[in-house]
Amino acid sequence: MPRELLIEVGLEELPASFLAQALSSLRSAAEELFTSARLTPESIETLGSPRRLALRVRGLPDRQPDRQETVQGPPWAAAFDDAGKPKNGALGFAKKQGVEVDALVAVETERGKYVAANVFEPGRDAAEVLPELLAGLCARITFPKSMRWGEGTFAFGRPVHWLVGLFGTEVVPFEFAGLVAGRTTRGHRFLAPQTFDLADATDYEPKLAEAHVIVDMAQKKQRMHDALVAAATQHGGVLSPDDFLLQECTSLVEEPFVVPGTIAEQFLELPDAVIVSVMRDHQRYFAVRRPDGSLLPTYLNVVNTALAPEVIAKGNDRVLRARLADAQFFVREDRKTPLASRLTRLDNVTFQTKLGSVGDKIRRIDALARALAPAAGVAVEQASQAALLCKMDLDTLIVFEFPELQGLMGRHYALAEGLPAEVADAIADHYKPTGASDEPAPTALASVVAVADRADTLVGCFGIGLVPTGSADPFALRRATLSLVRTAVDGAIDVSITELLAAAYDGFPAGILGPRDEVLAQLDEFVRARLRAFYRERFPGDVVDACVAAWPGASIRDVAARISAVDAFRERPEYEALAVAFKRAHNITREIPRGEVKDALLEAGPERELAEAWRGARARIAAATASGQYQDALAVVATDLRGPIDRYFDSVFVMVEDEALRQNRLSLLAEIADTVSQVAHFHALST
Amino acid sequence: MTFQELILTLEKFWADRGCLLVQPYDSEVGAGTFNPSTFLRAIGPEPWNVAYVEPSRRPTDGRYGDNPNRLQQFHQYQVILKPAPLNIQELYLDSLRALGTDPLQHDIRFIEDDWESPTLGAWGLGWQVWLDGLEISQFTYFQQCGGVDCKPISGELTYGLERIAMYLQDVDNVYDLEWNKGVRYGDIWKRSEWEWSTYNFERADVELHQQFFDAYEAQCTRLLSLSDKRGKGGVLVYEREPLDRLVLPAYDCVIKCSHYFNVLDARGAISVTERQRFIGRVRHIARATAESWLAQREALGFPLLRDPSAPADASSAAASSPSDL
Repeated sequence: MPRELLIEVGLEELPASFLAQALSSLRSAAEELFTSARLTPESIETLGSPRRLALRVRGLPDRQPDRQETVQGPPWAAAFDDAGKPKNGALGFAKKQGVEVDALVAVETERGKYVAANVFEPGRDAAEVLPELLAGLCARITFPKSMRWGEGTFAFGRPVHWLVGLFGTEVVPFEFAGLVAGRTTRGHRFLAPQTFDLADATDYEPKLAEAHVIVDMAQKKQRMHDALVAAATQHGGVLSPDDFLLQECTSLVEEPFVVPGTIAEQFLELPDAVIVSVMRDHQRYFAVRRPDGSLLPTYLNVVNTALAPEVIAKGNDRVLRARLADAQFFVREDRKTPLASRLTRLDNVTFQTKLGSVGDKIRRIDALARALAPAAGVAVEQASQAALLCKMDLDTLIVFEFPELQGLMGRHYALAEGLPAEVADAIADHYKPTGASDEPAPTALASVVAVADRADTLVGCFGIGLVPTGSADPFALRRATLSLVRTAVDGAIDVSITELLAAAYDGFPAGILGPRDEVLAQLDEFVRARLRAFYRERFPGDVVDACVAAWPGASIRDVAARISAVDAFRERPEYEALAVAFKRAHNITREIPRGEVKDALLEAGPERELAEAWRGARARIAAATASGQYQDALAVVATDLRGPIDRYFDSVFVMVEDEALRQNRLSLLAEIADTVSQVAHFHALST
Repeated sequence: MTFQELILTLEKFWADRGCLLVQPYDSEVGAGTFNPSTFLRAIGPEPWNVAYVEPSRRPTDGRYGDNPNRLQQFHQYQVILKPAPLNIQELYLDSLRALGTDPLQHDIRFIEDDWESPTLGAWGLGWQVWLDGLEISQFTYFQQCGGVDCKPISGELTYGLERIAMYLQDVDNVYDLEWNKGVRYGDIWKRSEWEWSTYNFERADVELHQQFFDAYEAQCTRLLSLSDKRGKGGVLVYEREPLDRLVLPAYDCVIKCSHYFNVLDARGAISVTERQRFIGRVRHIARATAESWLAQREALGFPLLRDPSAPADASSAAASSPSDL
């Protein structure tokens, strides 16, 4: 049975955020190095804890296979003279490849005759190859930041203290960071401080577990999670899920223990979100909630040593009290200054150097929100109130300390000031949707503010040339656009984008932004690209493109209506033939001037039949299109035009010699093509 | 354990491990790192092991004596081990044991906390040490000081004395700490906190502090003979040889500038845009001082390296007589 290989790099406590990157770089370097050393194993796994990075390799061959290879050398003429006597080129090449000059052979290549050597390299024992390979492997472990220590000779994530290298029972004495690998390892810093030897690589995981170190990260995470859930249940609550915290805590302890603590009663008046932020950001405690979602006065602390849980809980309770006292101080201070009076202070906070202060931005949002309100069915005064208050909490101490509480604290303070609940909610909700998994703002009021805010940022940034590039989008303009789309599509109000962006542009003082037409044209293109990207995740790409291209750039919901109508239309039996026909009609009429269809010139039979079917359908299609009833428009197309247009193209020759006749036929087709193109660019659809 | 017993225990502990015991610096500093025993001595190849208390001023942290945890002046216990020995974490944990804190009875963790002082052009990597969730120490491996790469690397241990004492004495309010048996922390410092908070936030003369800043910056430049010109690749140019520069007085000017900046900041006299410029100005003279220090020590033949037969442990620096310096 092949032996197992185990290496461990023992170090001082690695930052939690370093562990995942270090282990994944270790793994991919190992895959590459073992393969190129012709020692491809069955499996490679990484193991780790704050004080160790380890690699377990299973099914490693004991020996490399032999290597037989023909190595190409210099051109023949450069290696041998005309008499066949070797020149320096041949001698040097033979020496380098370790073969006699006589053994060199000729190979014919596309570029002529070359010298080659048949090289045979016998496989070496893995035990012989490994020391160098493993030293190189350790050097390839990467960290977000490296440091030097001691004499300052080596750089690594944290100082390295010991190395283990075991191939089965045999030590692989590889060298790294001034140390030589052996079989001696260490357990938990406090619970098992003695060093101990590993007899076999397979002992690693069980022996470390005995020494209070869980090296399997997934297993440790699971165990920790189970303990957290059990503790939460025991306290009559539910663990508040937090993936970041789970990952972080897994990387912070060698063996996870859960110690519950108590949130002192005098702090429960603070909003739940503040308490959770304090616990999470500063102390990495998990929150526990009641079935109704409210916070229990209990927190769960994942620790590395828990021989005296009551001492640990007491200490942590004290720290949390001090932290919450700070937060409470901030909230009380904040309450002394009403939100509405903070505008002048925000005049001194820069939003963006060229775009002015946060105060300026608030005033622009206000103007835009007032303009948007009537169409959204929102009272103008209320929209203005919400808009003017929406960013005021950026001036508060608590949001300065916990930026993730923006909006939530605005709502909290607004309610405390007795402002209307819907205005308070709009302050919190105008940031929605915060990401792809978040819902858009639930009310028309919040949506109006949200849309005004995004539009102002988009226009401002584009106006001063801060346009997102491939990877860089520091102002998150893609996300802002997506938020506009989601607010319209899944949210409370539709957005007429062209009008909105133009109004936002006009809200800036003259001379700050680039030329109006250019900026708006650039934004139109950007919005269309985002729309395509958004819908391509839900509908076929060609349908999306055809509809976005036909969209005049007003209502965003209108794009959705087109796309779903066309997508449904594609399922109809008539689709294929119609799409082909429209494409033909579009292609032959693309270049020609439009004209009136003259009844007198219509030929009896399929041409007249089509013209009459068109005359009957046209108004209904146009009316349905104009009112956004694309499904209806396409239904008329399918029922009324399919037969006539098929027969027309089967028997009518359009490009006849007679110019008047030809022009008349093209005019009819152009009318049809132009009308259906207003729904979607059918010619862009794949058929 | 009273506050002064805490200090005495640490003094004894680190003296027994070969550290020089020096005294707080006689100028306003924001942290023990500013003491020349850290900032300058961390630069260059000479070994250096030292420990001291540093009263540290943070004008913006003042709370008029009202807050049980925040002070505009607090006390750090600072230890520098250069080069940082490989067992530095164990030494630190032993010092906690000396304070009566058995790691097995608590949860002690080393949590990532990289340190950077933009004004000093210094940074390092390390941890904050948590004792049952309380940050009691900063632990840093210096990588750069004044823009100069550190080699060897110094290990810096900074104990937050008030926090540790509050833990050991089991009190929730810093002013209730026993400084000795009979006198409380508040008896000594409460009025001071109110006066300095009032001064830093309300009364400090802004114009005067700006003048101080400018004057000390200019003085520093003159003491180092630092030219306005730059050499190739932006290197700093000095008009005098290293031994003709007054590096230590120049460094005092750096400390002063940093402190006056902090006061102006607390006073709300520094706008967001000015802020970076102020920091850049201090960093510039800190860099010139650090470079000059290194050049000067080199010109002196790195005196603390002089006896290669001396054991390379913590006692070698302590053994050097003052005349060697």
